[in-house]
Amino acid sequence: MSDAENPDGASEFREDEPTDSAEEFEPIEVFPESESMDLRPGSDDCYKCSTCDTSCPVAAVDDEFPGPKFQGPEQWRLKRKDDRDIDESVMSCSNCMRCDSACPSDVPLSQMHNTARGSFVDEQMDKLSREYVRNRILSNYRTLAALGSKVPRLTNFVMGLGVTKLFNEKVLGITSEREFPEFATETFREWWEKRGGPNVERDDKRVAYFHGCYSNYNTPEVGKAMVRVFEAFGYEVLVPPQKCSGTPMFANGMLDDAERAAETNVAELAAAIEGGADVIASCTSCSLSLRQEYPELFDFEGTASVAANTYEALEYLRVHEDLEGALADAEVDDAAFAYHAPCHARNQGLDGQAVELLDALEGANAEDVGDSCSGISGTYGWKEEKYDVSMEIGAEMFDHMEAADAETGLTECPTCAMQMEHGTGYEIRHPLQVIEEAVVGADAA
Amino acid sequence: MAIEDDVAVVGGGIAGMTAALAAAREGATVRVISHKDSTLRSASGLVDVLGYPPRSGGSSGDSDASESPAGDAGPLADPFEAIPDLPEDHPYTAVGLEGVRAALSLFDEAVDGYRGGHTDRNALVPTHGGTVKPTARYPASVAPGLASDPRETLLVGFETVTDFDAPLAADHLRAAGVPFEVRGVTVRFPGAFRADARVTRLADALDADERLEAGDDPSGVSTSLPARGALAAVVKPRLGDAERVGFPAVLGRHETPSIRADLEAELGAAVFEVPTGPPSLPGMRLEGALRGACRDAGVRFTTGDPVAGYETGADGEIAALRVERNGAAIPFHAESVVLATGGLVGKGVDSDRESVREPVFDCHVPHPADRYEWFDDDAFGDHAFARFGVATDGDLRPLDARGDPEHANLRAAGGVLGGYDFAAEKSGAGVSLATGRAAGRAAARQVSDS
Amino acid sequence: MTDTEVVVVGGGSTGCGVARDLAMRGLDVTLVEKGNLTHGTTGRMHGLLHSGGRYAVSDQSSARECIAENRVLREIAGHCVEMTGGQFVQLEGDPDEYFEEKLAGCRECGIPAEVLTGQQARAEEPYLTDDVKRSIRVPDGAVDPFRLCVANAASAERHGARIETHAEVVDVLADGDDVFGVQVRHDSGPGKREHARTGERERITAEYVVNATGAWAGQIGELAGVDVAVRPSKGAMVVMNCRQVDTVVNRCRPKGDADIVVPHETTAILGTTDVEVEDPEDYSEERWEVDLMIDELSALVPILREARTVRSFWGVRPLYEPPGTGTRDPTDITRDYFLLDHAERDDLSGFASIVGGKFTTYRLMAEEIADHVCAELGVSASCRTADEPLPGSEDFTVLREYMDEFGLRSPVGRRSVQRLGSRADEVLSTDGPNPVLCDCEAVTRAEVRDAIDQSGTDLNAVRIRTRASMGNCQGGLCCHRMAAELHPEYGEPQARAALDELFEERWKGERHALWGEQLSQAALTYALHATTMNRDRDPADGASVEYAAFDAGGADGD
Repeated sequence: MSDAENPDGASEFREDEPTDSAEEFEPIEVFPESESMDLRPGSDDCYKCSTCDTSCPVAAVDDEFPGPKFQGPEQWRLKRKDDRDIDESVMSCSNCMRCDSACPSDVPLSQMHNTARGSFVDEQMDKLSREYVRNRILSNYRTLAALGSKVPRLTNFVMGLGVTKLFNEKVLGITSEREFPEFATETFREWWEKRGGPNVERDDKRVAYFHGCYSNYNTPEVGKAMVRVFEAFGYEVLVPPQKCSGTPMFANGMLDDAERAAETNVAELAAAIEGGADVIASCTSCSLSLRQEYPELFDFEGTASVAANTYEALEYLRVHEDLEGALADAEVDDAAFAYHAPCHARNQGLDGQAVELLDALEGANAEDVGDSCSGISGTYGWKEEKYDVSMEIGAEMFDHMEAADAETGLTECPTCAMQMEHGTGYEIRHPLQVIEEAVVGADAA
Repeated sequence: MAIEDDVAVVGGGIAGMTAALAAAREGATVRVISHKDSTLRSASGLVDVLGYPPRSGGSSGDSDASESPAGDAGPLADPFEAIPDLPEDHPYTAVGLEGVRAALSLFDEAVDGYRGGHTDRNALVPTHGGTVKPTARYPASVAPGLASDPRETLLVGFETVTDFDAPLAADHLRAAGVPFEVRGVTVRFPGAFRADARVTRLADALDADERLEAGDDPSGVSTSLPARGALAAVVKPRLGDAERVGFPAVLGRHETPSIRADLEAELGAAVFEVPTGPPSLPGMRLEGALRGACRDAGVRFTTGDPVAGYETGADGEIAALRVERNGAAIPFHAESVVLATGGLVGKGVDSDRESVREPVFDCHVPHPADRYEWFDDDAFGDHAFARFGVATDGDLRPLDARGDPEHANLRAAGGVLGGYDFAAEKSGAGVSLATGRAAGRAAARQVSDS
Repeated sequence: MTDTEVVVVGGGSTGCGVARDLAMRGLDVTLVEKGNLTHGTTGRMHGLLHSGGRYAVSDQSSARECIAENRVLREIAGHCVEMTGGQFVQLEGDPDEYFEEKLAGCRECGIPAEVLTGQQARAEEPYLTDDVKRSIRVPDGAVDPFRLCVANAASAERHGARIETHAEVVDVLADGDDVFGVQVRHDSGPGKREHARTGERERITAEYVVNATGAWAGQIGELAGVDVAVRPSKGAMVVMNCRQVDTVVNRCRPKGDADIVVPHETTAILGTTDVEVEDPEDYSEERWEVDLMIDELSALVPILREARTVRSFWGVRPLYEPPGTGTRDPTDITRDYFLLDHAERDDLSGFASIVGGKFTTYRLMAEEIADHVCAELGVSASCRTADEPLPGSEDFTVLREYMDEFGLRSPVGRRSVQRLGSRADEVLSTDGPNPVLCDCEAVTRAEVRDAIDQSGTDLNAVRIRTRASMGNCQGGLCCHRMAAELHPEYGEPQARAALDELFEERWKGERHALWGEQLSQAALTYALHATTMNRDRDPADGASVEYAAFDAGGADGD
């Protein structure tokens, strides 16, 4: 638990230097007292085609949500300096970021939503409201998880109790329909320390692993698979101290929390990059956060370097190693999967990757269950009032999973995996685990 | 090592997907790399081939020579007759009449649910602006509405679908001289939707046949009905003697045939859509159909990031495309490349105050130096900007300023091509199909030759 | 007995102000305007509500009038005015002496002025260049000239005035040396504009005729046989897609082109140039003027260099100087106004012209000419226009509770109320669904219909009342929706003609912005209207089509 031992400097929140970007076309802090960015110039790119609206999974099922075009460029453009009211519907955006990939004209939609949501939470949301408290708890899953995983068996037991779920739903507004993810009895970092760190050491092939919260506390087998696969390709793996990537915080407008976490992450990862490493993530929301949301929302030293040097695990191997060749030489037994591409993987252009890779692997097959959103969008589907919408969005994926010729699910995103499991009862795996079986061997785990 | 394909297609609209499909059918491994959703979602979903001959001014931009085309030239009844006479720099000239026909055959075979292949004649389709336009292929959902079909027609608009005013469109069609009786009514879409509910939302409700609030029955009890039945119930009392009923294009994203069938059964009249947009559901359906055809043919898709640069080989040919992801450049290797990034709307052609350019490969885009010569003073005048795009050789390879191919293994298709005004001619999808097919085939054959 | 007591010619800010003033004093007034209200210079200005700071060095009497009228308009026209504040910004290298003179001048004229350090200036306007040395903060504001002008006309009508737009004066009626009315040619009507309705000529007799036609005053003077030597001077203005600044930013240096950025509604307007022209309706609009605005002003606000402009427009200042002054450079001609009493000047009674002046002081000019007319007609009522709020600005206590009441998304409700002021309730309370027709400017069907009620089939008149079609798409996605609202009250051919007229008007200004994003926008608009709707080759407009020659559907049914 190195980061728990590390009394982080992040709490000493640093006031931003006055931005010095007059020559740049960059959003800047325009309303100093509210610390919000002026994204009105982002509306310059919008030509009103509404493509973003057609790709929004929330607008498709939630009649109160007006869609990303209104929520983004239109709302921003209508704003005057003294206008403070953000339409509350911004809280219904699940931050799936599909609008970003949809827009044919480069409008910074999710950045607009994230920023508007941040202002809404800061200025218009009652800090004592149940919704605020609940969102704060959900977005700080890592804090919860860090506590819970100290006594995982007890926590798992308590979280599973009906009375706990009732409390969560009635008092906090966390749906009782979902099973809380189980905490692993040994976290990834505990395993890593016990193992004594890396098995391979070399300075010309080095990666820093951003495992994120979920691989650490809940599915350490994914993290272990990452380590073993990369070591099999001759990489030295570093595991720097890290905090939550911020994904759940962005989605809930908790930008201060996100900024504190990001500051630590950027500092640690930038240092690793200085030391010759590239950054690897196994969770596609974590990699998206490091690559896109950090540079859009924060301006720490090293942010751009981290963004430019971060990769999803398999993407990295595909570019730098002959991964498909290695898979073509391997074989696994009877591995058929119903694969769902997470929205955040889609956003990084990775939605076809798992299917393409498993195509090359004898015995394996991944059937893409379509381009719909799983509907959970991180913390969104955990909210009592969003649960039904979340399941409605997911319905198409569930149907396609059932129709696929496979009884196991496959995805890169831990919360998509929860939703897939919740909707179908399938066991869900991460592509890294399949690759591990192929290139390291089934007995390695 | 790295990601390798035979053919890489940059751009995922009609032209790109047609190129990919054609290349895959030649046996190549093909990857489509697209940055954003295509402009198909804004387009009508009609497949225009050639609705009007190009303006007499042609590419000279001389507006005096091209006054008022509407008065003297009506729509072309047979687009194929006119294709051989097109100017040298028109993209159809590069592929030839047979190339156009072959592309339409490929389309007819690969995409379900389109009509019009039974004849060479153009069809006149009612538009949401209230007039008619010539097109060569149209979705089955549009077919019963053709303007040359004399059946009495009722147009139905919705209070909140503001792009289509049915009574106005009906009066307008009458002014356009259509050979049938036509009336228009505006009704409220059933259910308790907000005034800003998007057409996609209404389409989803019809797709799923959601139960919608149907108001109070005579006894004052609030009732709900499945969406399709509720919609038919709203329209039925207004049907009169109409034998066909036209709606704005909201009849589902995926389930259009069954929605139409259910409405037709309830109404006892044919049901059709008037293409509307953007956003355009027929365009989205066409995008889905083409994507499905590509997937079935083994085409791989990489979406969401731009091609920001490229690497060249020993002979100046393109060796790899560099896809940018937040500062990281991911190389995609290919032996042959098709550029299908669209025109000004699709951002395959970009401009600033000084010049016009093609942003991916920086191909030469001929254009007047003074931006005040890029447009005509009339809104529907002969705009030079409408013909902006790359010029190619007969093999669809973009030419540099000297007239030589930019790269031996780079071809272009669709909106990124110059030399035609798709909006005035009504030739957008046709050019994309014809040049997409030709470029895709040529790219694949270049690979198999080498 | 005459038809009316006073005819006011010209439906700009001055004419509408005069009509309002006289009507409030109980006179029977008829206002005639050849185009829409604001058709001339009023509709073609940058929307600056002067603090007087711009004149504090060169023309202190104008400066004093400005600050006084600035305060009046904030009171009587709150829904047209946005008190943004303004800055006179000194960049490194701009003369210190001028800065000091400006500051002293402001103080001498009673204009509140405060010096900001460069850092403070940038804190207030973050997109200012970091070359800012310091600035002077003054109470400049932004005003919507359309709304203000329309509100003045509406107030005049409430007080019994008759307002006739699209009524061009074709003759000034005179009986020897006494003017007794005008002859007008109505485009359609009299009454509200209606496309495709044949207009009539009408003689309107009056006891007094006021020529408030600004840059056109010479032409009306000519009809009456008097020489009114206005010296029209054109200025270019570039409209940005969105607001890069929220306060008026002036460059603090002696007169020069391209030295002001005004936040205007959802946009920012860059201005301007000063070039004398022969004819207020026929002058060139040139590329260099647009480029100059962008290049010069991006020294002040660098983001402007790459920012999107949606259109440019030109206005013509109605400059005037007494005969014999002989100023050569139009920038040196006074901005003061002149009341020309033609009885005194030209021995032609019953007729006066008002020329020169500026938008901010329109009310004061109107008051002066109304005083003159009243004196001539022996009416003793005094001016009340500075005390009585304009329609829409009567009661601002209702304005904060708009969102839920009208079922609108909050930014849509906010913008609607910012435009409608205290009329919001009356306009937005509708029975049917009230969808947004213009997404860019958040204009709902109810607001468009309200404007149609006021102005008939003229969609440009609807546009200036609502701002519909004035956003980034420049009407590409909404002008047909606006036209549809004319039907069925008006016929399909009228709706079509009105749509074509609006579409061409939008294109006229958008042409000056055709590169980058706006060129993509124009291409999308062109594709939508030509490809999808076929409005460019509409058989309803042209030759008939032989329908039987086309595909009537396959044998396979459907």
